[in-house]
Amino acid sequence: MQLVDIHDVSRSYGPIKALKHVTLSLEPGTIGLVGNNGAGKSTLLKILLGLLEPDTGGGTILGFDICRAARDLRGRIGYMPEAAAMVPILKGVEYVTLSGDLYGMPHRDAKRRAHEVLNYVGLGELRYRRLEEYSAGNVQRLKLAAALVHDPQLLLLDEPTNGLDPAGRHSMLRLIDDLIAETGKSLILCTHLLGDIERLCEQVVVIDRGTVIRSGTMADLRQRIANRYELAWQEPEQGPGYREALAAAGVQFTSEFDEPQATVVVPDHWSSRRFFELARDVGAIITRLKPEEEDLARVFFRVTDGSATTSTVDPPTQDVAHGN
Amino acid sequence: MGIDIAHYHGWEGKLRSPWWGSLAIVRVAMLQVFRRKSYWVVIGLGGLIFILYWSLIYIMTQFEIGAREQDSIAKLFGFSPVPTAEMDNGYVVFMQRESIAVMILLAFSGSLLVGTDFRMGSLTFYLSRRIDRVQYIVGKLLAVSTVVALMTILPALVLYIEYGMFTSSTAYWRQNWQLPIAVLGYGAVLCAVLSIWLVTLAAYLQRMAPIAITWSSLFVMCGQMSTQLREASDNRNWDLLDPWRCIRLVGKLCFGTFQYPGEYTRSLWALLILTTTCALALAALMRRVRAIEVVT
Repeated sequence: MQLVDIHDVSRSYGPIKALKHVTLSLEPGTIGLVGNNGAGKSTLLKILLGLLEPDTGGGTILGFDICRAARDLRGRIGYMPEAAAMVPILKGVEYVTLSGDLYGMPHRDAKRRAHEVLNYVGLGELRYRRLEEYSAGNVQRLKLAAALVHDPQLLLLDEPTNGLDPAGRHSMLRLIDDLIAETGKSLILCTHLLGDIERLCEQVVVIDRGTVIRSGTMADLRQRIANRYELAWQEPEQGPGYREALAAAGVQFTSEFDEPQATVVVPDHWSSRRFFELARDVGAIITRLKPEEEDLARVFFRVTDGSATTSTVDPPTQDVAHGN
Repeated sequence: MGIDIAHYHGWEGKLRSPWWGSLAIVRVAMLQVFRRKSYWVVIGLGGLIFILYWSLIYIMTQFEIGAREQDSIAKLFGFSPVPTAEMDNGYVVFMQRESIAVMILLAFSGSLLVGTDFRMGSLTFYLSRRIDRVQYIVGKLLAVSTVVALMTILPALVLYIEYGMFTSSTAYWRQNWQLPIAVLGYGAVLCAVLSIWLVTLAAYLQRMAPIAITWSSLFVMCGQMSTQLREASDNRNWDLLDPWRCIRLVGKLCFGTFQYPGEYTRSLWALLILTTTCALALAALMRRVRAIEVVT
């Protein structure tokens, strides 16, 4: 069964066309949803959640019709909203229990599950604290627990690492990664932090101006950057340096540091065998040689035609090398 | 065998109707109200009013005092456990007095129960689960209604039962069997009107100070204006300007006791006014809740 299978879905708000004839077919797994502000991401999420009916088109999510079975659909999806969405005065365990109640679980089951999932996300010790006392990182974990309480097939996480410090972000991503690995649940991750998607997702959907412009696996989307390699080597203590030998052969280094590793730009018609020949000549040993790949940020800027001016996506720090 | 908390465990139960979600909203609202220590001052005020009337019934039934003294006490507190032609129905009076405490409590708790849902994004949390906007609104209305019912209907019924039990006669039950139905009817009017008005007001104003000011202005200022105009023009129709008196007039329809000439007609007008304002408030509330985006 396909996770998402929608055809020709369009949705307008008055004269504004938020989604234009979107057709999307996604296998179960981990999926990243990327797009600029105003690209139609939120509208697509609402349709995926069964909160909004499309003007035209249709399809299924988890086998449920998006037009006719919206409520059943929401019972199979665990949604973690971007907003803090806290209910004041409640304690952690009461908040997660309420989430279960609102999904329609019997109250006793919701209460028991609340304790279980809070333990699982690492908030077992803090479950009787009031929500106002939770740190930003723990609020995100709590929201994840609230999304997990009814054991959904699909998790839809909207900016799960928003507002977290690097350690908190790392910890949250590891939790999500472990959860997906252990349970095999499908995940749709919607975030502006492309690094999060690179770390967690196997598939990516790039949406721009209401249209899905790229959809596929991460490997399919990434293109090898022509003429760029990541290189590391060991040199003999005496004799001419490998760096100098490469420079003499016309190889350019992207950094000036005199270290035995670098990202290099080679001349056209360069064969990777030349690296080894030059290394043999100077007595160096190559320890790593890897064609440089695009990161998701580069992919994103390439496929959106550099139109991410209003986005909070960080632009790539280096220009895309030749041929891109 | 110990419980494995290190690994994820699934759940294989069946999900119930989302209307159960409305009841969960009520349960959580009760937790929110009764956990706020400052609200207990107002709840205590309601408790004091109840104890006063409870003691009154106790004195009237357990002490041997004459009919004239009983009448004096009843007139002093405006309470008669048995409806009389001369006096307002005692249970209407009691619930009206108790409603003062309710009004204060609602003025302060409106922001907590409803305002924060809009201000702090909790509404997103509610609406992203399986319930929809109608079930959310019903849940919030029921939550406010429960607060009102706990402070008006429940104690009024306790007083009714107290009087019946202390009189040691079945005549009271036989002759006044319709009183608890009337109490429930009047309570339902109070619950419906106060909850719809408060939830709508809190959805738009959201913060405690504006809600409290507007809420008290609605009841106190309109009441004062109504009194001034009535006395100046010697026309009781100005009572209809006071929301509190409107509710009381509709309450009298439930009890079937009227004090002044033309009060029955005024009660029907009050019913029309309350129904119209509640319908308008509900439409405005629906519009406000619809404007909230679950996915931002």
